[in-house]
This record gives sequence, structure tokens and C-alpha cells, in this order.
Amino acid sequence: MSELLRAPRLHLLLRVLLGAVFVYASLDKIADPAGFARIVYQWQVLGPVASNVVAVTLPGVELVAGLLLIVGVWKRDAAAVVAAMLVVFIAAAVFVLARGVDVDNCGCTSVAAAGAAPSWPPEWMRGVGWFLITRNLVMLSAALLLVFVEPEKS
Amino acid sequence: MVTRLPRMALIVLAGALAGFSWNSLSGKGFDLSQSVFVQAGDQLVSARDARAWLDKGALFLDARPRDFWRMSRIPGALCLPEEEFEQAFAELEPRLRQNLNLIVYCSGYGCESSHIVARQLRARGFPAVILDEGLPAWEDEGYPLDTEARP
Repeated sequence: MSELLRAPRLHLLLRVLLGAVFVYASLDKIADPAGFARIVYQWQVLGPVASNVVAVTLPGVELVAGLLLIVGVWKRDAAAVVAAMLVVFIAAAVFVLARGVDVDNCGCTSVAAAGAAPSWPPEWMRGVGWFLITRNLVMLSAALLLVFVEPEKS
Repeated sequence: MVTRLPRMALIVLAGALAGFSWNSLSGKGFDLSQSVFVQAGDQLVSARDARAWLDKGALFLDARPRDFWRMSRIPGALCLPEEEFEQAFAELEPRLRQNLNLIVYCSGYGCESSHIVARQLRARGFPAVILDEGLPAWEDEGYPLDTEARP
């Protein structure tokens, strides 16, 4: 088992996949900062001005960390940043669920407005719920593996 | 992990700087100092000022969905939901004409309904203002709510 976790190919695969997810997730938000701010408001965690700052800076951090993971520069540090972001996302989702706030689009990868809801992805995938938390936990395990497990020298 | 902190901080800093620069230079950015819902012409009033206006006879308009208004509302508030604006406005218009101190609110900084309803009222010649950060700001000040159930 521990040998499998140290396989260089596994590390390469997880690193590129995780990096690609974060780069992809940042693009729509970067294209429409105000649209993403509206979505951060829906989470009702931070207040308007702090939400604005998050809406503008978070996609930049996602992009930089994702690119570093893909190209493999400072990869374990970038994985640690991604892990930290995922912990924050999971905590925010639990907070939102616990308070019963209705977020119809989590804003994870798209800033499409609720009114223009496409048929795909469906509501249970777009909103803040157990699917989102599970997905983030899976990505968090991958990120933590990249941070803490040294790949075998091949 | 601790040895990673300087590089992690650099990554976060670089991303944040890129984000701020993009916001101010790309032309797609927005003003970070206020709610993104605020547009030219929107006038905001703090809960404190709104309370003082209420004592002078201002009329509150609740832009949330009707079911919320049925449960509780700022004292005297009329129900003018964004979703059924046209119909509700037609019914309320005579009462609105008697009071030109109109304050629209909804459920907090995360909702745009109060802004949309106030704009629609302004377009019809009613100088409506918006309660900044909505009902939670009112409740945080400890101001009264009318919680008598309405049909």
C-alpha cells in the first residue's frame, strides 16, 4: 500500500489532475469578478467588503497554485496551498449547511446566475451540499498525499 | 509543514496580487469598497437612520418572498416582493402615493431584491431608498420586528 502511495506515476497523475481542476475552476471567476462576488455573497459568511476581496483574490491563488502543480515547480508547497484552500471550502460548506443558507450555485467552477441555470450540472451538483463536501474531501486527500508523501525515486 | 510556510505565503501573495491587478487593470473589475449590488442612483440608508425615519412616518417595503413577510416584518412594512412586483405594486400604489419616505429591505447583504425593487420604484417616480445590509442589520441593532402571522 505504502509503495503504491509513493509511486511517481500516481504523484504525477494526481498533481496534474488537481492542478487542472484548480486552473479550470479559476477561469470563469477571473472572467467575471463581480459575478463571482455575487456568489460569495450568497454564502453569507463574510459580509460584502470582505467577500469582494475574496472574490478578487481567491481565483488568482487558485490559478497560481494550479499552474505550479501542473508544471511541477514548488509542487509540494502548491499542494499545501491547495489543501489549505480545500479545508476552508469544506469548513465554509459545513457552516452554510448548518445554518440552512440556500446557495443555488456554489460558484466552484462557474459563476452562471441561478436564473440562467443550465440543465447540466444538476442542482445537487451545483449547490452547496454533501456532494460538494465529498468531492472536496477527495481532492483534499489527493493534495495531502502530494504534500506529505515523498514519491519514490525512480 | 512549517518549512513550507514561506513558499506557501509567496504563492498566496502572488495569486492575490494577480487578482487585485486584474481587477483594477483588466476593465472587468469592480469597486471593492461597497456591495456589488450598488448601482448608480441607489441610495442606501443605515439601520439607525432608517429607525429614525420610521419614527417620522417612513414606510418600509419588504422585497423578500411573500412567505417571509407573512412570518415577520419591520413594523408597518408592506409586502412588495421582487418576484411579483408588477401585481403587488398595482395593489399598493395608492398607499405608496401617500408616503414618499419609502425604505426597501430584504434579507441581508447577500440579496439583491431590495436594490431591484427600489430601482423599479424609482423608475416609476417613487424616490425609494435601500436599507443597507437589510433585515439582519435592523435586528442587530435590537430594533423591533412585527412577528404577528399574516395571511
